[in-house]
Amino acid sequence: MTFDLYLIIGSLPKMFEGIGLTLQLLFLSAFIGLILAVILLLMRLSLRWYLSIPAFLYTYVFRGTPMLIQIFVIYYGLPQFKSIQQSVLWPILREPFGCMVIALSLNTGAYVAEILRGGVLGVDKGLHEAGKALALTTSQRFIYITAPIAVRITLPAYSNDVISLLKATALASTVTLMDVTGVARTIVAKTFAPYEIFISAAIIYLVLTWLIQTGFGLFEKRMSRYVKQ
Amino acid sequence: MSALSGWWGVLFWGTVVTLKVFGVALLLTVAFGLLGATAKLSKNRIAVALANFYTVVFRGTPELLVLLIVYYGSAVTLTSIAQSINPAVKFLDIPPFWAGALGISLVVGSYVTETFRGAFLGVDPGHVEAARALGLSNLQTFIHIRIPQMWRLALPAFGNNMFSVVKDTALVSLLGLEEVVFAADVARSVTLKPFATYSVVAMIYLAITTVLTLSVMALEKYANRHLEGAR
Repeated sequence: MTFDLYLIIGSLPKMFEGIGLTLQLLFLSAFIGLILAVILLLMRLSLRWYLSIPAFLYTYVFRGTPMLIQIFVIYYGLPQFKSIQQSVLWPILREPFGCMVIALSLNTGAYVAEILRGGVLGVDKGLHEAGKALALTTSQRFIYITAPIAVRITLPAYSNDVISLLKATALASTVTLMDVTGVARTIVAKTFAPYEIFISAAIIYLVLTWLIQTGFGLFEKRMSRYVKQ
Repeated sequence: MSALSGWWGVLFWGTVVTLKVFGVALLLTVAFGLLGATAKLSKNRIAVALANFYTVVFRGTPELLVLLIVYYGSAVTLTSIAQSINPAVKFLDIPPFWAGALGISLVVGSYVTETFRGAFLGVDPGHVEAARALGLSNLQTFIHIRIPQMWRLALPAFGNNMFSVVKDTALVSLLGLEEVVFAADVARSVTLKPFATYSVVAMIYLAITTVLTLSVMALEKYANRHLEGAR
């Protein structure tokens, strides 16, 4: 057994093609997931039980089951129904890419909703009361007082969730998608050189993780600039 | 649910295998976490650097990739070693069960390292000094002073780490271990009812995580019983 450097160099171009798909999955699902998370958060914070209980159940189910099963339910399970095949969503659900984005978004939405809830609950009550004293309406208070502070509080946890999401995109290879892990698995199946290829793929993920961490670090610094003085 | 008649036994025994993977992986996770946390808190620079490398690498690599490296990597290594002894050997691997449990625990262990490190730092240094003054050895201090106090502090975050272990066990099916997800794959391809099959698996996992949540809550209550009067 030898460690074949040429094999790594030879397969790098293909691996880089995989990065494109990995990043597409990451950005699309992070974006959709965030919108979903805000909706879930507002439902969860609502005092109306018919809004808060479904939101609670949703986060409970999606946080309590493995991502892989969620992907399989959507990818293998949904096309079983005729009504899905005739719905407007079918062009998305027909493709593994669409299924993967939906699964990732639904999953990350549940986690991010909980993170955001922690941030909102962490905002000082006094600020809220001050807003009330200034005669701001409930929605004004949420938009101008709670939200900006909650964003800053939640950033570290949110950046961790984006990294989890990046790691979850690797499961795309289980539904035939050619992301970084998918490309790596195909090359290994041909060459049977797992160390070289999988470790190269791992290094790509580590670099992406580092980029995400650094990016969020800078953003956090900017959001906290008023605290430093 | 009648669609799955005849498959309940297969799914049940698959769940048993999943729980076994979970048990082994959890034990290994705690071991890696304790080792990592001890290394990070030690004064030995090499140990600190190694532990930092460990957490950075395993927290930034997808779980699936770690499992694939552990399983296929060990298979290539073991096969080449075996062939150098006996050229007739075609293939030798670590069973997927052990490769899976090891891979999962390496990943979650890197998170648990941070959980345990924080918890060890939360133990009052005065208690450790008192133990020293009483002539307790390092090991005795560790077992009788640090561990009993840190586990209470580690519990909430460790509960979340445990959920990660449970959920990662689903990935072992991709190495070919015949656990619950693998059983569901077989059931789905025969019954042609993938939605019902995977929903049942999801419910099984949800049941496992619910039991764990309740246990962690009960343990937390037990661990914090001395604080009840203070509130």
